Amino acid sequence: MSEEKFSLYNYHKTFDKDILISFKGPFDKHILSIIGNYIEVILGRNPKAGKKIFKIFIELAQNIAYYSAEGITNVNSDAGIGTLVIGEFDNHYSFVAGNVVKASDIVHIIEKSEIINSLDREGLRQYKREQRNMPQGEKGSAHIGLIQVALTAASPLDIEVTPINEEYSFFTISVNVEK
Amino acid sequence: MENLEIKGSRDVYFIPSVDFNVENGICVLGGESYLEETVKFYMPLYEWLKKYTSEVKRPVEFNFKLTYFNTSSSRCILDILNILKDFEENGGDVKVNWYYDSEDTDMEEEVEDYMIESELKINLIPT
Repeated sequence: MSEEKFSLYNYHKTFDKDILISFKGPFDKHILSIIGNYIEVILGRNPKAGKKIFKIFIELAQNIAYYSAEGITNVNSDAGIGTLVIGEFDNHYSFVAGNVVKASDIVHIIEKSEIINSLDREGLRQYKREQRNMPQGEKGSAHIGLIQVALTAASPLDIEVTPINEEYSFFTISVNVEK
Repeated sequence: MENLEIKGSRDVYFIPSVDFNVENGICVLGGESYLEETVKFYMPLYEWLKKYTSEVKRPVEFNFKLTYFNTSSSRCILDILNILKDFEENGGDVKVNWYYDSEDTDMEEEVEDYMIESELKINLIPT
Protein backbone atom coordinates (compact mmCIF):
# COMPACT_ATOMS: atom_id res chain seq x y z
CA MET A 1 0.00 0.00 0.00
CA SER A 2 1.25 3.51 -0.75
CA GLU A 3 2.02 6.01 2.00
CA GLU A 4 -1.21 7.84 1.28
CA LYS A 5 -3.78 6.81 3.88
CA PHE A 6 -6.07 4.10 2.59
CA SER A 7 -9.65 5.32 2.31
CA LEU A 8 -12.17 2.58 2.77
CA TYR A 9 -14.84 5.05 1.74
CA ASN A 10 -13.17 5.64 -1.63
CA TYR A 11 -12.94 1.89 -2.08
CA HIS A 12 -16.57 1.44 -1.05
CA LYS A 13 -17.97 4.10 -3.36
CA THR A 14 -16.05 2.67 -6.33
CA PHE A 15 -18.77 0.03 -6.50
CA ASP A 16 -22.33 0.84 -7.36
CA LYS A 17 -25.37 -0.66 -5.74
CA ASP A 18 -25.61 -3.47 -8.29
CA ILE A 19 -22.66 -5.32 -6.81
CA LEU A 20 -23.47 -8.73 -5.37
CA ILE A 21 -19.97 -9.70 -4.30
CA SER A 22 -16.59 -8.08 -4.33
CA PHE A 23 -13.49 -9.75 -2.99
CA LYS A 24 -9.80 -9.07 -3.08
CA GLY A 25 -7.38 -11.42 -1.45
CA PRO A 26 -5.94 -14.92 -1.57
CA PHE A 27 -8.12 -17.32 -3.56
CA ASP A 28 -7.61 -20.22 -1.23
CA LYS A 29 -9.90 -23.24 -1.14
CA HIS A 30 -11.88 -21.98 1.86
CA ILE A 31 -12.63 -18.63 0.25
CA LEU A 32 -13.66 -20.42 -2.96
CA SER A 33 -15.97 -22.61 -0.94
CA ILE A 34 -17.57 -19.71 0.90
CA ILE A 35 -18.10 -17.56 -2.21
CA GLY A 36 -19.30 -20.61 -4.16
CA ASN A 37 -21.88 -21.37 -1.48
CA TYR A 38 -22.94 -17.75 -1.35
CA ILE A 39 -23.45 -17.66 -5.13
CA GLU A 40 -25.63 -20.75 -4.91
CA VAL A 41 -27.72 -19.28 -2.12
CA ILE A 42 -28.29 -15.81 -3.56
CA LEU A 43 -28.80 -17.02 -7.10
CA GLY A 44 -31.08 -19.84 -6.00
CA ARG A 45 -34.01 -17.77 -7.24
CA ASN A 46 -32.63 -18.12 -10.76
CA PRO A 47 -31.18 -21.65 -10.81
CA LYS A 48 -30.18 -21.66 -14.48
CA ALA A 49 -28.15 -18.44 -14.34
CA GLY A 50 -27.00 -19.35 -10.84
CA LYS A 51 -25.49 -22.60 -12.04
CA LYS A 52 -23.73 -20.80 -14.88
CA ILE A 53 -22.34 -18.16 -12.52
CA PHE A 54 -21.14 -20.90 -10.19
CA LYS A 55 -19.40 -22.78 -13.02
CA ILE A 56 -17.73 -19.61 -14.30
CA PHE A 57 -16.72 -18.66 -10.77
CA ILE A 58 -14.96 -21.97 -10.14
CA GLU A 59 -12.97 -21.84 -13.40
CA LEU A 60 -11.89 -18.22 -13.04
CA ALA A 61 -11.21 -18.51 -9.31
CA GLN A 62 -9.05 -21.61 -9.86
CA ASN A 63 -7.15 -19.74 -12.57
CA ILE A 64 -6.39 -17.01 -10.06
CA ALA A 65 -5.56 -19.50 -7.30
CA TYR A 66 -3.09 -21.39 -9.48
CA TYR A 67 -1.69 -18.81 -11.85
CA SER A 68 -1.70 -15.42 -10.17
CA ALA A 69 1.84 -14.06 -9.95
CA GLU A 70 0.94 -12.73 -6.51
CA GLY A 71 0.55 -15.21 -3.71
CA ILE A 72 0.72 -15.75 -0.01
CA THR A 73 3.31 -18.48 0.16
CA ASN A 74 3.28 -19.04 3.89
CA VAL A 75 -0.45 -19.74 4.07
CA ASN A 76 -1.18 -21.95 1.12
CA SER A 77 0.76 -22.58 -2.04
CA ASP A 78 -2.40 -22.63 -4.16
CA ALA A 79 -3.73 -19.29 -3.04
CA GLY A 80 -2.89 -16.74 -5.67
CA ILE A 81 -4.16 -13.26 -4.98
CA GLY A 82 -6.75 -11.70 -7.20
CA THR A 83 -9.88 -9.60 -7.34
CA LEU A 84 -13.41 -10.64 -8.19
CA VAL A 85 -16.57 -8.61 -8.64
CA ILE A 86 -19.98 -10.00 -9.47
CA GLY A 87 -22.74 -7.56 -10.35
CA GLU A 88 -26.43 -7.90 -11.08
CA PHE A 89 -28.19 -5.79 -13.66
CA ASP A 90 -31.69 -5.79 -15.12
CA ASN A 91 -31.04 -8.40 -17.78
CA HIS A 92 -27.72 -9.94 -16.91
CA TYR A 93 -25.11 -10.75 -14.31
CA SER A 94 -21.61 -9.39 -14.83
CA PHE A 95 -18.51 -11.19 -13.76
CA VAL A 96 -15.10 -9.51 -13.52
CA ALA A 97 -11.96 -11.26 -12.32
CA GLY A 98 -8.37 -10.09 -12.36
CA ASN A 99 -4.89 -10.88 -11.16
CA VAL A 100 -1.26 -10.04 -11.71
CA VAL A 101 0.47 -12.11 -14.37
CA LYS A 102 4.04 -12.23 -15.62
CA ALA A 103 4.42 -10.19 -18.79
CA SER A 104 5.96 -13.25 -20.44
CA ASP A 105 2.73 -15.23 -19.91
CA ILE A 106 0.35 -12.59 -21.15
CA VAL A 107 0.87 -13.17 -24.88
CA HIS A 108 -0.32 -16.74 -24.57
CA ILE A 109 -3.43 -15.74 -22.60
CA ILE A 110 -4.34 -13.01 -25.09
CA GLU A 111 -3.84 -15.32 -28.06
CA LYS A 112 -6.06 -17.92 -26.49
CA SER A 113 -8.76 -15.37 -25.69
CA GLU A 114 -8.67 -14.04 -29.25
CA ILE A 115 -9.13 -17.54 -30.64
CA ILE A 116 -12.06 -18.09 -28.27
CA ASN A 117 -13.74 -14.83 -29.30
CA SER A 118 -13.26 -15.55 -33.00
CA LEU A 119 -15.19 -18.83 -32.84
CA ASP A 120 -18.92 -19.49 -32.95
CA ARG A 121 -20.44 -22.00 -30.54
CA GLU A 122 -19.76 -25.03 -32.74
CA GLY A 123 -16.19 -23.84 -33.30
CA LEU A 124 -15.71 -23.34 -29.58
CA ARG A 125 -16.94 -26.85 -28.85
CA GLN A 126 -14.52 -28.26 -31.38
CA TYR A 127 -11.67 -26.19 -29.93
CA LYS A 128 -12.53 -27.46 -26.47
CA ARG A 129 -12.49 -31.08 -27.67
CA GLU A 130 -9.08 -30.56 -29.30
CA GLN A 131 -7.63 -28.91 -26.20
CA ARG A 132 -9.10 -31.54 -23.90
CA ASN A 133 -7.23 -34.19 -25.86
CA MET A 134 -3.89 -32.52 -25.24
CA PRO A 135 -1.66 -33.86 -22.45
CA GLN A 136 -2.70 -32.84 -18.95
CA GLY A 137 -1.39 -29.44 -17.91
CA GLU A 138 0.08 -28.36 -14.62
CA LYS A 139 -1.99 -29.08 -11.53
CA GLY A 140 -4.51 -31.08 -13.49
CA SER A 141 -5.49 -28.16 -15.67
CA ALA A 142 -7.24 -29.29 -18.79
CA HIS A 143 -6.40 -26.15 -20.79
CA ILE A 144 -10.08 -25.56 -21.28
CA GLY A 145 -11.08 -23.30 -18.40
CA LEU A 146 -11.44 -20.14 -20.49
CA ILE A 147 -13.14 -22.01 -23.34
CA GLN A 148 -15.62 -23.42 -20.85
CA VAL A 149 -16.23 -19.95 -19.41
CA ALA A 150 -17.11 -18.63 -22.89
CA LEU A 151 -19.37 -21.63 -23.58
CA THR A 152 -21.11 -21.39 -20.22
CA ALA A 153 -21.65 -17.64 -20.48
CA ALA A 154 -22.64 -17.91 -24.15
CA SER A 155 -21.01 -14.52 -24.64
CA PRO A 156 -17.55 -13.27 -25.62
CA LEU A 157 -14.73 -12.74 -23.13
CA ASP A 158 -13.74 -9.15 -22.57
CA ILE A 159 -10.00 -9.11 -21.88
CA GLU A 160 -7.99 -6.17 -20.64
CA VAL A 161 -4.30 -6.03 -19.87
CA THR A 162 -2.86 -3.19 -17.81
CA PRO A 163 0.94 -3.12 -17.75
CA ILE A 164 2.29 -2.61 -14.22
CA ASN A 165 6.00 -2.60 -15.03
CA GLU A 166 8.37 -4.44 -17.36
CA GLU A 167 7.90 -7.70 -15.55
CA TYR A 168 4.22 -7.78 -14.65
CA SER A 169 0.79 -6.88 -15.99
CA PHE A 170 -2.69 -6.92 -14.52
CA PHE A 171 -5.02 -9.23 -16.41
CA THR A 172 -8.77 -8.60 -16.29
CA ILE A 173 -11.44 -10.83 -17.73
CA SER A 174 -15.09 -9.76 -17.86
CA VAL A 175 -18.00 -11.82 -18.98
CA ASN A 176 -21.77 -11.41 -18.82
CA VAL A 177 -24.41 -14.04 -18.24
CA GLU A 178 -27.95 -13.38 -19.34
CA LYS A 179 -30.67 -13.78 -16.76
CA MET B 1 -11.39 -58.01 -7.35
CA GLU B 2 -13.70 -55.98 -5.15
CA ASN B 3 -16.40 -53.38 -5.61
CA LEU B 4 -15.28 -49.78 -5.61
CA GLU B 5 -17.40 -47.52 -3.47
CA ILE B 6 -16.75 -43.91 -2.55
CA LYS B 7 -19.31 -41.89 -0.66
CA GLY B 8 -19.96 -38.54 -2.29
CA SER B 9 -19.68 -35.42 -0.19
CA ARG B 10 -19.86 -31.71 -0.49
CA ASP B 11 -17.56 -29.68 1.65
CA VAL B 12 -14.72 -27.37 0.64
CA TYR B 13 -14.41 -29.63 -2.41
CA PHE B 14 -17.11 -31.77 -4.03
CA ILE B 15 -16.40 -35.49 -4.06
CA PRO B 16 -18.52 -37.47 -6.52
CA SER B 17 -20.16 -40.71 -5.45
CA VAL B 18 -18.68 -43.86 -6.95
CA ASP B 19 -20.33 -47.28 -7.01
CA PHE B 20 -18.61 -49.82 -9.28
CA ASN B 21 -19.99 -53.34 -8.92
CA VAL B 22 -17.95 -56.40 -9.90
CA GLU B 23 -20.88 -58.84 -9.76
CA ASN B 24 -23.20 -57.16 -12.23
CA GLY B 25 -20.83 -54.75 -14.01
CA ILE B 26 -23.03 -51.76 -13.17
CA CYS B 27 -21.01 -48.64 -12.43
CA VAL B 28 -22.37 -45.34 -11.22
CA LEU B 29 -20.53 -42.02 -11.04
CA GLY B 30 -22.80 -39.36 -9.61
CA GLY B 31 -23.08 -36.11 -7.75
CA GLU B 32 -20.60 -33.29 -8.22
CA SER B 33 -16.92 -33.40 -9.11
CA TYR B 34 -14.65 -30.57 -8.04
CA LEU B 35 -11.56 -31.86 -6.30
CA GLU B 36 -8.30 -30.73 -4.79
CA GLU B 37 -6.28 -33.37 -6.62
CA THR B 38 -8.45 -34.46 -9.50
CA VAL B 39 -6.17 -37.00 -11.18
CA LYS B 40 -5.26 -38.58 -7.86
CA PHE B 41 -8.96 -39.11 -7.13
CA TYR B 42 -9.75 -40.62 -10.53
CA MET B 43 -6.71 -42.91 -10.70
CA PRO B 44 -8.31 -45.78 -8.68
CA LEU B 45 -11.40 -45.52 -10.92
CA TYR B 46 -9.25 -46.00 -14.03
CA GLU B 47 -7.42 -48.89 -12.38
CA TRP B 48 -10.67 -50.60 -11.39
CA LEU B 49 -12.09 -50.26 -14.90
CA LYS B 50 -8.89 -51.45 -16.56
CA LYS B 51 -8.76 -54.48 -14.28
CA TYR B 52 -12.44 -55.28 -14.79
CA THR B 53 -12.24 -54.93 -18.56
CA SER B 54 -9.05 -57.00 -18.85
CA GLU B 55 -9.74 -59.72 -16.27
CA VAL B 56 -13.48 -60.02 -15.58
CA LYS B 57 -14.48 -58.98 -19.10
CA ARG B 58 -18.23 -59.21 -18.41
CA PRO B 59 -20.61 -56.56 -19.79
CA VAL B 60 -20.30 -53.07 -18.30
CA GLU B 61 -23.17 -50.66 -17.81
CA PHE B 62 -21.78 -47.27 -16.90
CA ASN B 63 -24.25 -44.72 -15.53
CA PHE B 64 -23.21 -41.09 -15.26
CA LYS B 65 -25.37 -39.11 -12.86
CA LEU B 66 -23.15 -36.07 -12.48
CA THR B 67 -24.86 -32.73 -12.03
CA TYR B 68 -21.68 -30.65 -11.98
CA PHE B 69 -18.01 -31.13 -12.80
CA ASN B 70 -15.23 -28.62 -13.30
CA THR B 71 -12.94 -28.67 -16.33
CA SER B 72 -10.20 -30.67 -14.56
CA SER B 73 -12.76 -33.38 -13.83
CA SER B 74 -14.07 -33.22 -17.39
CA ARG B 75 -10.71 -34.42 -18.62
CA CYS B 76 -10.81 -37.40 -16.25
CA ILE B 77 -14.33 -38.29 -17.37
CA LEU B 78 -13.02 -38.44 -20.92
CA ASP B 79 -10.32 -40.84 -19.75
CA ILE B 80 -13.02 -43.12 -18.30
CA LEU B 81 -14.91 -43.06 -21.59
CA ASN B 82 -11.71 -43.89 -23.47
CA ILE B 83 -11.14 -46.95 -21.26
CA LEU B 84 -14.70 -48.10 -22.00
CA LYS B 85 -14.17 -47.48 -25.71
CA ASP B 86 -10.99 -49.60 -25.68
CA PHE B 87 -12.97 -52.41 -24.03
CA GLU B 88 -15.67 -52.16 -26.68
CA GLU B 89 -13.11 -52.24 -29.48
CA ASN B 90 -11.67 -55.41 -27.98
CA GLY B 91 -15.03 -57.12 -28.09
CA GLY B 92 -16.40 -56.01 -24.71
CA ASP B 93 -20.07 -55.30 -24.15
CA VAL B 94 -20.45 -51.65 -23.09
CA LYS B 95 -23.52 -49.60 -22.39
CA VAL B 96 -23.19 -45.98 -21.28
CA ASN B 97 -26.10 -43.97 -19.90
CA TRP B 98 -25.96 -40.32 -18.92
CA TYR B 99 -28.76 -39.05 -16.70
CA TYR B 100 -29.27 -35.30 -16.75
CA ASP B 101 -31.74 -32.59 -15.88
CA SER B 102 -33.80 -32.09 -19.06
CA GLU B 103 -33.48 -28.30 -18.68
CA ASP B 104 -29.69 -28.43 -18.51
CA THR B 105 -28.84 -27.85 -22.18
CA ASP B 106 -25.18 -27.22 -21.30
CA MET B 107 -24.96 -30.78 -19.97
CA GLU B 108 -26.62 -32.13 -23.10
CA GLU B 109 -23.97 -30.42 -25.24
CA GLU B 110 -21.26 -31.69 -22.95
CA VAL B 111 -22.40 -35.28 -23.47
CA GLU B 112 -22.63 -34.77 -27.25
CA ASP B 113 -19.02 -33.58 -27.16
CA TYR B 114 -18.01 -36.65 -25.18
CA MET B 115 -19.65 -38.85 -27.79
CA ILE B 116 -17.68 -37.18 -30.57
CA GLU B 117 -14.43 -37.31 -28.61
CA SER B 118 -14.67 -40.89 -27.37
CA GLU B 119 -16.56 -42.29 -30.39
CA LEU B 120 -18.68 -44.12 -27.86
CA LYS B 121 -22.48 -44.17 -27.95
CA ILE B 122 -23.91 -42.52 -24.86
CA ASN B 123 -27.62 -42.73 -24.11
CA LEU B 124 -28.81 -39.32 -22.95
CA ILE B 125 -31.54 -39.88 -20.41
CA PRO B 126 -33.44 -36.76 -19.30
CA THR B 127 -34.75 -36.87 -15.73
